[in-house]
Amino acid sequence: MAELSVDNLRLRFGGLVVLDGVSLAVERAELLALIGPNGAGKTSVFNCISGIYRGEGAVRLRGEDIAGKAPHRIARLGIARTFQHGELFPQMSVIDNLLVGRHARIGYGPLAEMLFLSRVRRDEVRQREKIEQIIELTELERYRNAPVGGLPFGIQKIVGFARALALDSSVLLLDEPSAGLNREEREDLARFILRIKHDLGVAMIWIEHDMQMVADLADRIHVLNYGKTIAEGAPSAVLNDPQVIEAYVGRG
Amino acid sequence: MSSRTPRASGYFRTGYAQQFALLQTRLETRSLVLFVIALFAFPFFASAFYIDLASQVFLAAIGALALMLLTGYAGQISLGHAGLLCAGAFTTGILAQELHAPFWITVPAATLVGALLGVVFGLPSLRLRGLYLAVSTLALHFVVVYLGGEYESKRGFSTGITLDAPTIGGWTIYGGKVWYFILLAGAALTLWICLNLLRGRTGRAWRAVHAHETVAAALGINVAAQKLLAFVISSALTAMSGALFAYYRGFVSVEAFSLFLSIQYVAMIIIGGMGSLLGAILGAAFVTIFPYAIEAALMRLPDAQSYAGVLFAVNYAAFGVVMILFLLFEPLGLVGVWRRLQTYFLLWPFKHRPLERGRK
Repeated sequence: MAELSVDNLRLRFGGLVVLDGVSLAVERAELLALIGPNGAGKTSVFNCISGIYRGEGAVRLRGEDIAGKAPHRIARLGIARTFQHGELFPQMSVIDNLLVGRHARIGYGPLAEMLFLSRVRRDEVRQREKIEQIIELTELERYRNAPVGGLPFGIQKIVGFARALALDSSVLLLDEPSAGLNREEREDLARFILRIKHDLGVAMIWIEHDMQMVADLADRIHVLNYGKTIAEGAPSAVLNDPQVIEAYVGRG
Repeated sequence: MSSRTPRASGYFRTGYAQQFALLQTRLETRSLVLFVIALFAFPFFASAFYIDLASQVFLAAIGALALMLLTGYAGQISLGHAGLLCAGAFTTGILAQELHAPFWITVPAATLVGALLGVVFGLPSLRLRGLYLAVSTLALHFVVVYLGGEYESKRGFSTGITLDAPTIGGWTIYGGKVWYFILLAGAALTLWICLNLLRGRTGRAWRAVHAHETVAAALGINVAAQKLLAFVISSALTAMSGALFAYYRGFVSVEAFSLFLSIQYVAMIIIGGMGSLLGAILGAAFVTIFPYAIEAALMRLPDAQSYAGVLFAVNYAAFGVVMILFLLFEPLGLVGVWRRLQTYFLLWPFKHRPLERGRK
């Protein structure tokens, strides 16, 4: 069974059809690239999956329909995401940003927290151990205590990626993680993505504009144009599909 | 929280628990001990006037800390603070007057009433934000004050409810020094609760909700529940402060809870410095002491007695001017000034921090 599947997803804003019957599925430890020209509806697919937009059609996580649930419930069920512009909490340190990602996995309630009982203390230590693993995985050690707002943009994107990982989710939605990164940072990002795929077995949907990166890393590609699927399958086949080339560069 | 405090080199953490320790260095521990000794010694040296002033600062600090949680951290604006103080004071007054309830029942009861009112005050925040939320909390302020006024006039306490000095276990709480220590304990307890909330899950969730609601939700935070929780905790602490205020004054009347009081609390957190608990305390001290300072300054002028009539107006005007000056020139508030002083001494004799090496 697919880890996450989207079935005949439709979304419209008034008269504008944003998504017109999109269906896709991603398995455990699979990297599915979602590509398409600007305005094709890629981010809208993410917003429907994570419950920010409410579309028609089914969204299934391990077979269970989660469409229509509140965003925080969907996140708790195990779908984490990053945002196009990072959308970090600029005043908070890297550690605190990642700990926000642990929110749903922390057991104590506000009353115990007010008195900072010993179980709160123990849980905080446990959470910070967990965060440290992610910091190590994403090589953020030197920025641990720095307020995120002052970090270089490339590092901020990695922090956003690490924050999504902190949720311990089984599905990761990456919204243009490489946008604005330089070559070296892209290579780092590629290593992290592959590491997560192989070591943690997370299912990933990845919106990307860098075709070289997509061709090198993706297991499968799904192409959207004007809210419709125009191609899907293995990278070599999809990237040579005349319809895809036409959508990207126009008719020759 | 700790990352923004200027700190000299040579301090390294060796365990995860140190990340959230309230006192990070030996210097901090020693300073705290000295400060606590000074606070304990103060009433034995100061005059009754200064003990009263300090007690007022402690009371204001509880309310300012509670409002800082709500506005400075969770990002929810409220102009209903005076209404909540009023609710706490009236719950205490009514329980003491009608049922002769003792101190250890009235104060928790007032806190509970505050928590319940917090849900009511917080409900508009699920749909409204910014100025619209401020206006809706203002409306609730008037409802609470109206109910208090109705109670006063219907029960024939048209000038207010008088409270007897409370007793705990046969011991009557009476006198400036005793109240100084009770209010100090109340303020310290409130500060400790706030610090605990802010270094844990709830504080992080509030700051996340403040920064980006949608992102917070996508990270698994129940935004509506966290907003309500912020209102509930803030309102409960505020109502507790109102109950202590009622006992401290020995008298409850709606006149004390005007809209101006709400504005004063908002002023405390702005002047003190948004998003800082130290700021709330500094702001509370500043706003409480300010009118006395203005009065003392005016009385030093030649021919002082002839100004006595305009003292009230001068106070209001000076308060307004100070607010504007802070907003224009020191948006970080007194905490901003404090941090700059710390940095100055940390870097002395240099003026600027060295350029950080090794950053990409």
